[in-house]
Amino acid sequence: METFATSPIPAHVPLAMVGDFSLFSSPGMQPTPNGDPQAAAAVVHEGPRIFYSPVNTRDGRGTWVITRAQDQRRVLQDPETFSSHRSIFASALGESWPMIPLELDPPDHGKFRSLLNPLLSPKRVMALESAVRERAVFLIDRIAAAGTSCHVMEDFAFPFAVNIFLRFLGLPDDRLDEFVTWANELLHGDNVQRPAAARTIIAFIDELAAERRKRPVDDFMSFLVQSKIDDRPLTDTEIRGTGVLLFVAGLDTVAAAIGFDLNYLARHPQDQEMLRGEPSRIVLAAEELLRAYPTVQMIRVATKDIDFEGAPIRKGDYVSCATMIANRDPLEFPHPEKIDLTREDNRHTAFAYGPHRCLGSHLARREIVVGLEEWLKRIPPFRIKEGTSPVTFGGHVFGIENLILDWS
Amino acid sequence: MKIIVHNDKCQGHARCWAMAPHIFDLDDEGYIKPGDIEVAEADEKLAWKGAKSCPERALEIEK
Repeated sequence: METFATSPIPAHVPLAMVGDFSLFSSPGMQPTPNGDPQAAAAVVHEGPRIFYSPVNTRDGRGTWVITRAQDQRRVLQDPETFSSHRSIFASALGESWPMIPLELDPPDHGKFRSLLNPLLSPKRVMALESAVRERAVFLIDRIAAAGTSCHVMEDFAFPFAVNIFLRFLGLPDDRLDEFVTWANELLHGDNVQRPAAARTIIAFIDELAAERRKRPVDDFMSFLVQSKIDDRPLTDTEIRGTGVLLFVAGLDTVAAAIGFDLNYLARHPQDQEMLRGEPSRIVLAAEELLRAYPTVQMIRVATKDIDFEGAPIRKGDYVSCATMIANRDPLEFPHPEKIDLTREDNRHTAFAYGPHRCLGSHLARREIVVGLEEWLKRIPPFRIKEGTSPVTFGGHVFGIENLILDWS
Repeated sequence: MKIIVHNDKCQGHARCWAMAPHIFDLDDEGYIKPGDIEVAEADEKLAWKGAKSCPERALEIEK
């Protein structure tokens, strides 16, 4: 469990603008059997377009909360005013270095994006697809052969996402369980587990970089240690910052998305039937599921004082742009509460807006689509196993646990 | 019909390309290539959908 620091409301925040919603503590955000934390977060649309939430980060800090998609675009498209340099990973260790490119601002940000973009471009992802599909088929066939129920996260979602990530890094599968544990403790652990997991991951990345410097092979880390920015090699801190970000970003998010998607389909047999009958609809359906069940909140730091739609944001204030809030904005999506797998015109923000648009978005989309395609092809109509309840939670990265499906 | 491309707003979501890869051409990084796009009449509906799919509003439709 988290222990929150007490955070007094800053003097410049008018009391009338303080709201009681928090992605960490509001109803539906704590671990909840059969919960729906994304729907629970949509309660903010009954209130103002911006308010101040006194405890709205993992370490108990207050943030402004932007509720309208249009306003989130304005914040996320303006990195000069709303910086993403927070060192969230390093600060857990009392250090200060950025995860790259996420925690860099322009112009440095663009240099690293240009280096990394081609590795995860839509065209490159097409070349990765057969490996992704092979992995999904292997895991799902094993599940189907083993019986008529499974633990989705442990048996499919995590091993699937982590395997693809390891493949991308050029690492063998034999440390898969270890990686899943590190990622879990880092993202969802307590105040002792988190820094310990962070140190373990750093040591792993540093060691891998040193090894690839000595003996480069054809993989991501070898590419990184041989790359140049502004005609100079990357520094050790830059390599570490990039490696850590890939580690953190690629594991939990895709697995959580697959979990929420299968949880939804288990409870909506007609949608299952539609997608099973017409698999070509899965690409569009996956977009609606990304809109309905995104998992991340973006936080920016104001670089100067600015009045934003009546809110006196001051330099240093945190500004939260939660994807699940923008994606349920009634001004952006007609009937946002309705999950319609045939919805078109679906410009959701599951992967954020602006220059920090998720670098792995194209791979993540492919993993989700391929995962659903192969699941529906190989597993007969499924439901939540009787007598069990999946547990959902909000917070820093939304997630779902104890998701047991049954098709007996 | 013409699509006006605001390259400064493109962030590489590639939703336009997913909708109509033969109309919206991407560079090696996955961002839209510079230059406005003249759309053939037969492609107008698809181009319209592609332009409307941009989360950043980087594609403007000019009739």
